[in-house]
Amino acid sequence: MRVVHYINQFFGGIGGEEAAGSHLEERSGAVGPGRLLEQLLGEGSQIVTTLICGDNFAVEQQDDLTAAVLDKVRDANADLFVAGPCFEAGRYGMASGALCVAVHSELGIPAVTAMHEENPGVDLYREPLYIVDSGANASAMREVLSKMVNLGQKLSADERIGSPIEEGYITRGLIRDAFVDQTSAERLVGMVMDKVNGNPFESEMVSTSFEPIPVPAAVQDMSKAKVMIITDGGLVPTGNPDKIEGMAATRWGSYSIEGKDSLDGDDYEISHGGYDPRHVQEDPDRLVPLDALREMEKEGAIGELHNEFISTSGLANPLSNTRRMGKEMVEKVKAEGVDAVILTST
Amino acid sequence: MRLQLARHPITELRWGDFTRLDNTTLEVDQDELRGIIQGDQRIESVDLQLVRPGENCRAGPVLDIIEPRAKEPDASPDFPGVLSSPAIAGRGTSHVLEGAAVTVLDGTPPKGPIRSVLEMSGPASEHSPYSSLQHVVMTPRAQPDLAGHAALNATQTAGLKAAVYLAQAGFGQTPAMTETFRPVGPNEPGHEGLPRVAYVGQIFSRQQTAEVGEQVLYGLNTNGMLPVLMHPNEWLDGALVASYRTSVGGAETYFYQNHPIITELYRRHDAGELNFVGTVATISGLDNEDRDRGTQIAAHLTKWSLNADAAVLTKYGGGVPHADMAETARLLENTGVRTSVMVSDMSRDRRVESALLFNFPEVDAIVYCGGNDTSWVVPPVERVIAGNPDAAETLSVSHTIGASAVVGVANSQGATHLRSVIY
Repeated sequence: MRVVHYINQFFGGIGGEEAAGSHLEERSGAVGPGRLLEQLLGEGSQIVTTLICGDNFAVEQQDDLTAAVLDKVRDANADLFVAGPCFEAGRYGMASGALCVAVHSELGIPAVTAMHEENPGVDLYREPLYIVDSGANASAMREVLSKMVNLGQKLSADERIGSPIEEGYITRGLIRDAFVDQTSAERLVGMVMDKVNGNPFESEMVSTSFEPIPVPAAVQDMSKAKVMIITDGGLVPTGNPDKIEGMAATRWGSYSIEGKDSLDGDDYEISHGGYDPRHVQEDPDRLVPLDALREMEKEGAIGELHNEFISTSGLANPLSNTRRMGKEMVEKVKAEGVDAVILTST
Repeated sequence: MRLQLARHPITELRWGDFTRLDNTTLEVDQDELRGIIQGDQRIESVDLQLVRPGENCRAGPVLDIIEPRAKEPDASPDFPGVLSSPAIAGRGTSHVLEGAAVTVLDGTPPKGPIRSVLEMSGPASEHSPYSSLQHVVMTPRAQPDLAGHAALNATQTAGLKAAVYLAQAGFGQTPAMTETFRPVGPNEPGHEGLPRVAYVGQIFSRQQTAEVGEQVLYGLNTNGMLPVLMHPNEWLDGALVASYRTSVGGAETYFYQNHPIITELYRRHDAGELNFVGTVATISGLDNEDRDRGTQIAAHLTKWSLNADAAVLTKYGGGVPHADMAETARLLENTGVRTSVMVSDMSRDRRVESALLFNFPEVDAIVYCGGNDTSWVVPPVERVIAGNPDAAETLSVSHTIGASAVVGVANSQGATHLRSVIY
């Protein structure tokens, strides 16, 4: 196996912080921790090239560095790319994460790195990469490199990678299916028995806490505000022109309400598989309250109702999808000078 | 409430002149079975086929799978509320043809992809308990002028009747094994000092409209239903019948009769590990008031009527049931009842952050059933049994099938071995 190893200026023996601006250097063979890495890789494997770069240069000139590293890894005809271990060194971790992602996605070559859990590179790259949990202390070098070698060899051989605890990598935050010996019923009862008896138990899933969304400033004067309705209740014109999926929707549409004082169920259908839509079908104003808002517009309680509403279907939708759609909607809302949005759901 | 299962193992199923049990071979008088099914004037005809484990065969779309069981005359009735007037199920002796199944195919034209397929061989079959059973696969054809809901009612009822008819062959025969369930309940003596454990299970989700004449609980389509206390034996013995709508992961009558959670709770009760105090059957809500009503009452019954120390909870269907189950568990935890919950796979992007629809710190014991990234390329089969011609075409050729579409692989009643793991 031909391995390319990336290390920073400190592990490369160039210098400490004073040498953090040093440019990318290429050395043939193993350097610094690479010697132990090569030894652990065993017979038939060699570090063909070591790439060394200063931490400041690496993060400040990341695009240039990435392009140069990709060229050198390609030229080296590498089977595996190893970066680090980086321990707590933040710039080193961020550079190593970025390079591993680039090597893997651009060249299809497996890549492995190692960091302490608190390294900022972990937050950025834990999902796309296997990052060995190095701990904070460089004295664990041998143990960390052994785990990197084990993972690297498995990735090269396209072998199944075990759990984070088995393999020693930082949880990526992804899930995959597995067939297990016990039925879900046996596990369910076993878990509650452990819990009620005060024994340790391991939940098969963990909740994600999300950062609170700051409350935006209040609209100063609603009587002058342009108001728009956005719904995830799946109301679409008959025929569903934008083909918005009724489950895990990847699309959204905006539909004119110009000149209308209320919505007629005959003109609309509901693309949403997660609620009983009869009441909305009967009178879509129950979901998209055009009738009430028109009255408020006439009374002057709101300045103006925007002439379109946005609709999508909010069912079993992964957050990666909804974040994207939310951003797209915000762009439109801003571009059209809307001051306030009313979100309706089911 | 004493329930006894007289178990007759079945290793072979064949057509014969009389319906009779000969050791472990069940011979079936096809004409008599057909006569019983067509005794319902709503059924015009019925296609009947026998299928063996390992056979190069595929069938679908499956409406329901039922274990042949028949109650002795002095016991509670068969499927009360469906095949007789409503009466409490779960008392007396049931003859069980263990290893056999009645599989009912939906004969109405499909809307969208086929979501419930019986695989008797090939890679997917290895993970379904149904593939090791002897099946009578039946496709009842309703009279063409019948309303859709009446056709579904007739189709499902035909399957239940057939299951009872077949198991009556066990009457007068010595069972290979008789299983007697020990009395359980909130006031049963003998298990003092052990954790009092209840099961809280959803049986329907009101995010879908129950059909007129759909017969889920004692013949009720669940409209107007509030959470209800049930003896575990009622689940096992015909009080519950699968909804026409497949839940996410599937819920068939077969696994009400062989409920994996209830049988596990019984097993641990008998082993002296816990005190199985009872069950609550519930549904998930249509709107917020419905949700509050359902979750509050389910938690209240579990805490104050069953006096439970712990409860296991399951859902029926997708997102709304998921949230309702979690809310019920939260309410229970807040009254000191420890809980674990079982969820189906909701994460389509395979990210942990998309997996759960709740974030309650106290609901921290979660069993996560998998399914969304398991599929197989299944080979063409020699024998296709299809509810309709379109399905026949789809099922006969090699195609990719997801775990949730193979009956018995993903299952929301606790039978599945498929989970998701975090990595």
